[in-house]
Amino acid sequence: MAAFPYYDSPAIDALNSQAVTLLKLFGEKGYAREEPSVLQPAEIFLDRSGEEIRRRTFTLMDPSGRELCLRPDLTIPICRQAVQEGRKFPARIAYNGLVFRHQPGEPHRPTQFFQAGVELLGLEDKAVGETEILTLTIEALRAAGLNDFSLRIGDLALFGALVDALALPTQWRARLKRHFWRAGYVETLLYWLGHGDGKAKLPGTRAEIEALLDARADAPMAGRSREEIIARAMDRAAEAAALHLDPAVADAIAKLLDISGPADDSLARIRELLKTAGINLDPQLAAMDARLATLKTLGVDPARVQFTAHFGRNMEYYTGFVFELWARDKEGPVQIAGGGRYDSMMEMLGAKKTVSAIGVALRTERVLAAKTFAGGA
Amino acid sequence: MLTLAIPSKGRLKDNCNAWFASAGVTMEQTVGARGYRASFAGFPDVEVMLLSAGEIASSLLAGDIHLGITGEDLLREEAPELTGRMHLIKPLGFGFADVVVAVSGYWIDVSTMADLDDVCAAYAATHRRRLRVATKYAQLTRSFFAQARISDYRIVPSAGATEGAPAAGTAEVIVDITTTGATLKDNGLKILDDGVILKSQAQLAASLTADWGADVRTSCEALLSKLDPASPLYAMLAKQLP
Repeated sequence: MAAFPYYDSPAIDALNSQAVTLLKLFGEKGYAREEPSVLQPAEIFLDRSGEEIRRRTFTLMDPSGRELCLRPDLTIPICRQAVQEGRKFPARIAYNGLVFRHQPGEPHRPTQFFQAGVELLGLEDKAVGETEILTLTIEALRAAGLNDFSLRIGDLALFGALVDALALPTQWRARLKRHFWRAGYVETLLYWLGHGDGKAKLPGTRAEIEALLDARADAPMAGRSREEIIARAMDRAAEAAALHLDPAVADAIAKLLDISGPADDSLARIRELLKTAGINLDPQLAAMDARLATLKTLGVDPARVQFTAHFGRNMEYYTGFVFELWARDKEGPVQIAGGGRYDSMMEMLGAKKTVSAIGVALRTERVLAAKTFAGGA
Repeated sequence: MLTLAIPSKGRLKDNCNAWFASAGVTMEQTVGARGYRASFAGFPDVEVMLLSAGEIASSLLAGDIHLGITGEDLLREEAPELTGRMHLIKPLGFGFADVVVAVSGYWIDVSTMADLDDVCAAYAATHRRRLRVATKYAQLTRSFFAQARISDYRIVPSAGATEGAPAAGTAEVIVDITTTGATLKDNGLKILDDGVILKSQAQLAASLTADWGADVRTSCEALLSKLDPASPLYAMLAKQLP
């Protein structure tokens, strides 16, 4: 597809009629359509999504010098609106519209494309919410006329629970969770855990640390309180002493992270590994079983559901179950939809308490291309 | 006409002139002593332009000039991917400076990028906003932080006096250029152990997107072999030219 797509008459008609079909289905399931503005204040995207999204976001200045951006997704503005209005939960919201992404180094990829999707906010029962969104995703693709697709699933909470079950210093737990989705780096972290990370040793007592700080009283605090620094310095000294992971456990984690394949088979291998390592993750595994059962009920061939332990999403806000749907167009495999759970977003946007959230976005142009390809092949 | 831009003022300009002189190339300022155009004695087909160091980088990228001398930091900031856009002909052995990540000396618990990663994440959780990095090197910062696997931060563009940002409260961390580290130290800042982003020096660079006609190539070959007879500078450049 071109960097600056031009939709001719048949193309835009086909997209519009597909959108009508999808929004009708969403509406029947209780998801009313909403439409945030294309132009958004930049801070919410830049502050919430980090530099990776910033790199891909088109930003501009308004004449008064305020930084604006073209929305790189619809999830964040929809969630922000829900927070600001103090919406009643659960809230079910649908959307269909253009999003804009700079594609550095990939000049053939489009800088704008359509997304149709739904957000389910504030439904307490997570399993029910996941079933609802998975079901709606599959129904939407079928309603759009696409029956030939496969799934890739993962769960960031599974890895989080695994790390929590290990005897590790707090900062290392946080670090492993934070970097879960970066292939390769987690292995480096595991290596450091076994062999030390080569950091300079710091004195560990509070008095020693305070003396060090007093000697540097001229340097700026730079946004962190004295207590914040003391607490982390003490943690760091303590973890240097405690930094040792049983090689058998490190080995089990590395093997677990490597698991990828048909979901049923992968989960069986995970259960086996956890048993050997003596770690109990039954609630997380039961949740994954329930999702697979949902897909079976929907008539999705289990052989086409892939579980990848290392699977995270590069939009940095997912917190739990994540999924992608793939199909083929004339160029090869394409991702046609993606979604998952993002339970920390609403609070980051100012909600007073944690609001559970899950959603999905369909790449409608790709859905159409995949349908055309399947029909013509 | 081959166009070559050199810095219009400061130590970089003096160093350039000294380098030309040592190669036996004399510069003649054409439009008065304060003019912004010049020529080389014996090279009538070479036009020398005096521009600011930053302008030289952007003019090379835009293909407005053929050759330019400026800091590698500015070239890499202007064009994160040099391939197909610019060719670095020769490092010139002056204008040395490092682009570095620096934090307050008060942060005794932070000495590496891995520490900074922890602090960025903790800061975002505690303060409900991302830690700010003040810099005029947004591109270099972005790719270096990505390599260090840090994502919980945001860049605050800085036009000047970046080293004052942590004390002024406009940013918590800075990425800036330093030669001796004295200015950083005066501001209570320290460089992270693995926080050197780029060891920069002045570079003679060519734009690959400029218009390289046959006569321009001939002039360029003549000039480069005069400036450095011992190295096949032109042959290396010619391989890159479209």
